[in-house]
Amino acid sequence: MDCYQCGKCTSICPMRRVSKTSPRRSIYNSSVYGLDSDDIWTCLTCGLCPQGCPQKVDFLSFIQDERQGKEPLDVAHLGVFTEFAELSSKLDGSKPEKSDSKYGYFPGCVDNLGLFLHDVKTDFGEITTSSLKLLDKLGIKPQVMNMKCCGHDVLWQGKKDVFDRLKDHNKKYIKESGIDTLITSCAECYRTFSKDYDLGIKVIHTSELLDKLGLKIDADVTYHDPCRLGRHMGVYDAPRAALAGNGVRVTEMEHSKDNALCCGVSNFMNCNEQTKALRIIRMDEAAATGAKTLITTCPKCLAHFNCLKNEKEPVKNYELDVVDLNVFLSRQLEEK
Amino acid sequence: MSEWEPNILAFACNWCSYAGADLAGVSRFQYPATVKILRVMCSSRVEPSFILKALKDGADGVLVAGCHIGDCHYIDGNKNAEVRINNTKKALEKLGLDKRLRLEWISASEGLRFSEVIKDFTEEIRKLGENPVKEVKGNE
Repeated sequence: MDCYQCGKCTSICPMRRVSKTSPRRSIYNSSVYGLDSDDIWTCLTCGLCPQGCPQKVDFLSFIQDERQGKEPLDVAHLGVFTEFAELSSKLDGSKPEKSDSKYGYFPGCVDNLGLFLHDVKTDFGEITTSSLKLLDKLGIKPQVMNMKCCGHDVLWQGKKDVFDRLKDHNKKYIKESGIDTLITSCAECYRTFSKDYDLGIKVIHTSELLDKLGLKIDADVTYHDPCRLGRHMGVYDAPRAALAGNGVRVTEMEHSKDNALCCGVSNFMNCNEQTKALRIIRMDEAAATGAKTLITTCPKCLAHFNCLKNEKEPVKNYELDVVDLNVFLSRQLEEK
Repeated sequence: MSEWEPNILAFACNWCSYAGADLAGVSRFQYPATVKILRVMCSSRVEPSFILKALKDGADGVLVAGCHIGDCHYIDGNKNAEVRINNTKKALEKLGLDKRLRLEWISASEGLRFSEVIKDFTEEIRKLGENPVKEVKGNE
C-alpha cells in the first residue's frame, strides 16, 4: 500500500469529529502489525478520506477486504437485516416472470425497512410505488425484479460468502429476465450492482431519468448526497438536475457534493451516540439552509434522518420534512 | 438415517407460557418431543432477528408464546410482540416461510392448551416438510 501515514485522511474523517477513530491508524495497524483494530468497524465507508489522500490510497477497498471473515463490532437492529439476507441466500429464490420489457426495476429491501423499522414512521414502500409511477410517466414500463437482496450490507459487514450466494442468484435472475437496463431507486443497490457485480448491462438510478418530467413545482428544498450515490458513484448532478428541471429551487448545504457529510450510518452498523451526533450536525446544516424539505436518494439516509426526527424524546425539533426524491416528485405528480 | 422429525423452537414467556408448559408437564399431558423450549422474560423479548436466525440455522418452525392480551406481566409487552411477529411474518411471506412462524397466547393455567398447540403445530410442520434452507459449507 502506498500510504505514507500523513494523516490527512484522519483530519477530514467525519467520524473523527465525534470520536477517536482514525483511518490512518487502521492502515498502520493492519499493514505494520497485522492487528485488527476497531477502527475498521467504526469507519462509515463514506468515501471522504480517499479524496484528500495524496497517495490515492483506495481506502474503501482496503476496508472491504480487511473486514472479510471477521465478526462485526456492532450491527444495528440486532442484525435483523443481515439475518434476513443470510436466510434468503440459503433459499432457492424465485424465477423471473415472462416479460418483453428491456427495463428492469429493482425496489431493493424497502419493504423490509418498513416492516422492521416501524417506529421510524416512514412509508418506505412509497418509494417503490412512486418510482414506478414516475417511470410510467416517462413511458418506461419495467419488469419488477423480484430478486434477493443485493447484498450490499453483508458485503460491507465482512460476509463475502453470503454476498457471493446472493450475487450468483441475482446474476442468474437478471440473465434469465433478458433485460438490458436495470433501474433502481436505492443508492446502495446502485453502487453494488454497478461496482461489485460486473453485470455487463446498464445500471441506472431513478434520479438520472427524472429531469425530463416537465413538472412545475414551487418549492424550496435542500439535497443530501448519499455517500453511495455521490462519492462512491460520482452522481452529483443528476438528482439536482431532476429537482431543478422540475422547477424546484435547491439551496446547497454548507457541505455538499463531494464534501457532503454522512447521515451517520451505513450498512446498518454503528448506530450509536457518536453517529447520532453526526446526524445532528447534518440535520442542523439542512435546517440552516431555510429549506422546508430535505431530499435524499437513499432509503437508509431517509430512515436515519427520520429516526432522529421522530424519536420519542427528540434531541431537537426539526421542522424539516425528510423525503425521498422519487416520493417528492411523485406526490407533485398527483397534485397536478 | 432415521426418519425426519420436525424441529421446533418455542420461545415461551416466563410468566404465562413457560408456566403453562410446566403445568403440561406436571399434569402429564402428552405432546410430541419435537419442541425445544426457550424461556424468555416476555414474548416481546423475541427480536425478529432471533426468529430469522433460528430459521436460517435450520429450525423447521418457530413458536412464540406469551400471555393473553391484557394479562401481560409488563402490561403491554404482548401487544408489541404481536406487531413485531406479524411484521416478521409479512417479511417471511416473501421467502415462503411465513407458515413456519406462529404466535400463540398460552396462560399459566392452560397446560392442556400448550400440549394441543404443540401437537397442532408439529402436524402443520410435518405437512410443510423440512425447512428448505440449504446447508452451506463454510465457517457459519
